[in-house]
Amino acid sequence: MIAKKIKNKVLQLGAIATAVLTLSSCEKKAEQELPKRNWQLTWSDEFTGTAGTSPDATKWVYDVGRGPNNDGWGNAELQSYTNRTSNVALDGSGNLVITAMRESFAGAGFTSARIKTKAKLEQTYGRFEARIKTPTGPGIWPAFWMLGANIDNTPWPQCGEIDIMEQRGQEPHLVHGTVHGPGYSGGAAITKQYALMNGRFDANFHVYAVEWGEGYIDFFVDNFLYQRITPENVTGKWVFNTPFFLLLNIAVGGNYVGFPTIGTPFPQTMSIDYVRVYKQI
Amino acid sequence: MKKIRIYTSSLLAAAILLIAGCTKRDVSSLQAPEFPKNGDVFLDDFTGDLAYAAFGGSDVRAFQVETKETYNGSRQSMRFEIPDANSPQGAYAGGVFFSRTGRNLSEFTALTFYIKASQAATVGVLGFGNDLGANTYVVNLSNYQVNTNWKKVIIPIPDPSKLKAERGLFYFSAGPENNRGYTVWIDEVKFENIGTILAGQHSIMNGINATANTYVGVNTQVTGIVSSFNMPNGVNQVVGLSTSFFEFKSSNPSVATVNANGVVSSIGAGTAIITATVGGKNATGQLSITCSGAYTNAPTPTRPASNVISIFSDAYPNIPVNYYNGYWQPWQTTTSNDFKVQNDNVLNYTNFNFVGIEFSSPTVNASSMSHLHLDAFFPNAVLPGRQLRVIVVDFGADGAFGGTDDTRHSTTFTTPFLVSQSWRSIDISFASMTGLSRRANLGQIILEGGDGTSLFVDNVYFYNNDPSIAAPVPTRSAANVLSVFSDTYTNVPNTDFNPAWGQSTTVSQIAIAGNNTLRYRNLNYQGTQFASALNVSTYSNLHIDFFSLDATQLRFFLISPGPTERSVALTVPTTTGWNSVDIPLSSFSGVALNNVIQFKVDINTATNGPSVFFDNIYFWR
Repeated sequence: MIAKKIKNKVLQLGAIATAVLTLSSCEKKAEQELPKRNWQLTWSDEFTGTAGTSPDATKWVYDVGRGPNNDGWGNAELQSYTNRTSNVALDGSGNLVITAMRESFAGAGFTSARIKTKAKLEQTYGRFEARIKTPTGPGIWPAFWMLGANIDNTPWPQCGEIDIMEQRGQEPHLVHGTVHGPGYSGGAAITKQYALMNGRFDANFHVYAVEWGEGYIDFFVDNFLYQRITPENVTGKWVFNTPFFLLLNIAVGGNYVGFPTIGTPFPQTMSIDYVRVYKQI
Repeated sequence: MKKIRIYTSSLLAAAILLIAGCTKRDVSSLQAPEFPKNGDVFLDDFTGDLAYAAFGGSDVRAFQVETKETYNGSRQSMRFEIPDANSPQGAYAGGVFFSRTGRNLSEFTALTFYIKASQAATVGVLGFGNDLGANTYVVNLSNYQVNTNWKKVIIPIPDPSKLKAERGLFYFSAGPENNRGYTVWIDEVKFENIGTILAGQHSIMNGINATANTYVGVNTQVTGIVSSFNMPNGVNQVVGLSTSFFEFKSSNPSVATVNANGVVSSIGAGTAIITATVGGKNATGQLSITCSGAYTNAPTPTRPASNVISIFSDAYPNIPVNYYNGYWQPWQTTTSNDFKVQNDNVLNYTNFNFVGIEFSSPTVNASSMSHLHLDAFFPNAVLPGRQLRVIVVDFGADGAFGGTDDTRHSTTFTTPFLVSQSWRSIDISFASMTGLSRRANLGQIILEGGDGTSLFVDNVYFYNNDPSIAAPVPTRSAANVLSVFSDTYTNVPNTDFNPAWGQSTTVSQIAIAGNNTLRYRNLNYQGTQFASALNVSTYSNLHIDFFSLDATQLRFFLISPGPTERSVALTVPTTTGWNSVDIPLSSFSGVALNNVIQFKVDINTATNGPSVFFDNIYFWR
């Protein structure tokens, strides 16, 4: 585990030469020249705590069940989310672990967990990052993502969605960075993939981040910029100028990832070392 | 698949000639030989040092180099023509592609190739590590499903660091589908360094914590060897592999040691836990050995083999037995964990409630046998009232289980005869098995009465306790003999050898090697009534030849009216064939020797109902 004392730490990260925008998503160049941005930590969870305990209730709330319309959260997902520590708990080693299991529960064939910072941490712009070891297997759909905090009054996709990290378990070498908004949601979302040439994301921890400012969202894996999305890239209204909250989950099945197969190993776990949110200063 | 016929195509011979100049090494250096780090096996042709040998019994012409059906337009592929069932050329297609020199494959993570078939089929085995020799590092996929599309196969290497001098680069075996042959093509066979395979989960004992109770001298094999890898598509794939990839370790080498092949040798009392690693990574599963120390062997059988039909014993050749544990569902809990200690095989029934032993192919004709014997040992506590029921089943004239002609008899043994931690020899005479109408078609022995603990069984056999040879022929002059029972002399007339004195003994006279012999079965006591009183006052001795393998006490009585009876003890069991004794008549002091009216034999306080044989009973002087 890396050292965790980073409160009020100022990060200095380079970002973005315009040339970078055209780089192939599958080729990692040796160096990127990125303009300097200064970040100040505004919120974090380092997930230190006793093994088997629930995540900090002052920072996270649960989504439980199969969605408000009982339709698999709009995606025909197969799991039922719970707030049980068997599905989401600290591991005692500085990680939060979300566990997806094959079990019958509340009418679903699988259980998992989805937690969010709604009404706990809602922020416009900044750097949002998490260090995650992802799960794997056909039909496994882990995500670290954000939704517009106005979602209750401004339904999806008008509220906006920023998917910092999504993976399909049958393609563990690929990560997807995506935004959804009015006119560019679901299958028409604005998205890009980043691939490991001869490796897999679920083999190790990786840092997944976006840096979001006025008129741009930059997507990073291990501080490598692989995608910038600006108002010119989206095929509808740019809605990324209001507060968003964070979500972490493993979905099982659903339109995006397909069914789990008999060969999908269960249980599957997603370990999150930390989630940190910064503002630019 | 051990017998290999070497088949070398002319193409291959050419390939070898071509590379002959490339394999020279500098022999002046004293370093260990470095094998080429080439992972190519068959791309468009045999690579360098590659040769092919067909498996024995396979169709040796099944493999050919193919030019038409190739992967992604490559120049050539491998073609296997799987024969029809019962093809005179061979029953299946299979063989080994081996390196003549050896390869260093330690920098690769998997063997990969593409495969398709002329129809959907299940290929028996695909793998590497079969080197026509020790087959030390074998990895394979078994029963692999192929179809008419090219499909990439990835066989991960559990621990590449082991493969520094590997000769077995690829092997293959497939038989007919529904008795009909088909064709398999394989192309682009090579070892690759694939980073998208996640390190395997290795297991022994199928990943569970298994236990075994042993004795000193028992060898136990670590089984359930599997490795599971997470493949690039996120799916776990199980491969079969040889134990050589595993490093085994005993937590207590003074109790049990384990060798490189996973054979655990128990050497002292105590507990040892056998674990394993692969490439430094812990394997799941373990084998806990609880060694109880020195093993007490069952008593070694002493009956002559000619008098025995053996079901399970190391002392005799055993007849064909269908099974020693029928796993009769649904109620049977008994499992078998048989062991061998110092060349003594032991049936070890664990979780014992009941178990059936069947020997019905063919059934056993035990008509000439007198007894069933078995030795039983309870390693756990035996509670008061514990039973062991021994059931013998005859399948009747139809020789098959069921029907209306099956008969059986159950004999119950209980405490205090049954004890813990000591062998109990059980002998049941067929005479006492009243429920068994006949014994010409014996098919099963069933043991009942288990309490869920363990039962060791050894030396299960039917035997005939008749002597196999006749009693010695007397040599005394007839002039000096007064004979009661002998073929050599004229016997006193009209002796009743089976007067009704309320005994349970069964008396008969049988011919043994042509010699008439007096047989007492299930003896408690038995009289002999002379037609008229004998005056033996002028004789000095009574001669008796006797034989008994199972009597523990035996007394012989001389009786005169009164009655006045005196006995002498005969030494039993007779361990070296017939015993001959000459008893001075003074030993029967008190009996009126001029008025001997009866003999009597009994077993004193013994209770075993033995079989006893007599011959040449006569007085002499």
